[in-house]
Amino acid sequence: MNANPAPLTFSETAMAAPAKRPSPAGKLFAIAAVMAVFSAAVAIGANAFWLSAATSAVALSLSVIGLAVLYGQLGLVSLCQFALVGVGGWVTLRIGHAYHPPFEVSMLAGGIVAALVGLVFGIPALRLRGLYLALVTLMLAGAFQTIISAWGFPDGGPGFLGRADGAGRAMLARPALAEGPVPYFLYVSFFATIGFIIVQWHKYAKPGRAWALIRKGETVAIASGVNVLTYKAWAFALSGFFAGIAGALLAGNVGQLDGRAFSAFESLNLFALTIVGGSFHWYGALIAGLLLRAVPALLTDLGIDGYVTIGIFGVALFHALATAPAGIAGQIAGLVARLKPQARGGNRA
Amino acid sequence: MIEISNITVRFGGIKPIDQLTATLTAPVAGLIGPNGAGKTTLLNVLSGFVKPMEGSILLAGVPLLSLSPLRRVEAGLRRSFQTEQVVEDLTVHDNLSAIADHVVPAGERARAVEAALSHVRLTDVADLLGGRLNLFQRRLVELGKCLVGQPKLILLDEPAAGLTDEEGAILRDLVLGIPAVTGAQVLVIDHDVELIRAMCSETMVLDYGKLLALGPTAEVLANDNVRRAYLGEL
Repeated sequence: MNANPAPLTFSETAMAAPAKRPSPAGKLFAIAAVMAVFSAAVAIGANAFWLSAATSAVALSLSVIGLAVLYGQLGLVSLCQFALVGVGGWVTLRIGHAYHPPFEVSMLAGGIVAALVGLVFGIPALRLRGLYLALVTLMLAGAFQTIISAWGFPDGGPGFLGRADGAGRAMLARPALAEGPVPYFLYVSFFATIGFIIVQWHKYAKPGRAWALIRKGETVAIASGVNVLTYKAWAFALSGFFAGIAGALLAGNVGQLDGRAFSAFESLNLFALTIVGGSFHWYGALIAGLLLRAVPALLTDLGIDGYVTIGIFGVALFHALATAPAGIAGQIAGLVARLKPQARGGNRA
Repeated sequence: MIEISNITVRFGGIKPIDQLTATLTAPVAGLIGPNGAGKTTLLNVLSGFVKPMEGSILLAGVPLLSLSPLRRVEAGLRRSFQTEQVVEDLTVHDNLSAIADHVVPAGERARAVEAALSHVRLTDVADLLGGRLNLFQRRLVELGKCLVGQPKLILLDEPAAGLTDEEGAILRDLVLGIPAVTGAQVLVIDHDVELIRAMCSETMVLDYGKLLALGPTAEVLANDNVRRAYLGEL
């Protein structure tokens, strides 16, 4: 560098056309391509048991990608993501049972309400970071658990606040264009792909750069003109939105949800697996989703108690924290980079 | 022109800046003083991170203290930090785009970033990740960020810290070129008196939050009080 010591003036340099930079469109298209291959393989190869597990896994990966925005982009530890999945699923069910709109409308409502709740849950993050934020969000997840178990998770009875009364739960119908298990899996994969692409686009665009500055330090971000409050709030809303959509897709998978599935422990588990899967690469979310649902399914298939997964995840988390902070996805990315050493820098996943 | 009138900053029982009044007119002005003299505090007052108890500051006739830190950036205030703050997982280009996003109108960002990259001679490494840069390149990225948009006042907090003499000389030339190409005034804090001597036509010396001397750099550095308080002579 500095081969030419003569100073260039701004007017001279402004004459030169801006250098051509690779557009991120190719990388976004790669997400669609990978997801298409993955979805086709599952749709063709999986039996009913595995198809249901894969559907839940892909739906949950949407909530993981939301969590990855907070942790991977902003460095914020939020331990209430599964509560937001519950909020999204619950709103989807209630809107569906009360007004019978198309599934997509209920799902969108679930996403929006979860985004708003996520925004409220994110308020402590305006002042807190690290362990303190983690504790506060874990308490919020605990509060959600307490409320739904004390009040009953209203999911099967008539009306907007209806509860199942023992006569059997009303089931939410799947979307009209995806009623069978295979079409519904592809339907979930489609929305997950859209979610991955939206999050990845954020990383290449203005919000991603602003988040990177906030992660570096709020003073640095402000000195660069970043409105820290707005961009943090947007991250929480986006994260909550995808958690809500994940909840909606889970509700659509079996037509109902069980309130006991949304305990604070699940939020902890989700966060742990976000780290194990990898929060800096989009496919880390898919890996985390598969770990969350496919590993227990595999153990059940082998006749082993599903609770063994907790131990396995604990070991995996220890491994990730000790040796692979970018998670399994980071290790895959490292392997790919090693296989093509001619590719030089500037490759932001 | 920066007009500082009667600025006092108080942190609990201490006053890092005590009734400071000074007017800086040189295109590249220097700010020196021993540790704890209030240099960085003054920079933080100018950029809005520290609120003074009293006093006023005019930048080119416009009152600064009523503006939030963000509004000041929009109004053309730029600063670098003592420890460089390059984002490791953004490219050099994106490190500059990150500020252009907020201070340059949408259609002109690419050109503004290219112009700034070119001025600090980082065009060749524009696509390299921040984490792969050496210290000199990182300092240049910081300088480049200050040039994006239409800066009016650029505050450089020890821009040459850790650089070799040769690198410092290149940085000095780049800084000297800033007022002519951007129209911005530059205020440099540094411990390196030789760098200040070579770069700044006007220098302000602080000592325990008070103005010790202000004027043409050669005269200020020859001043007995300055040599006693700062240079450790006499």
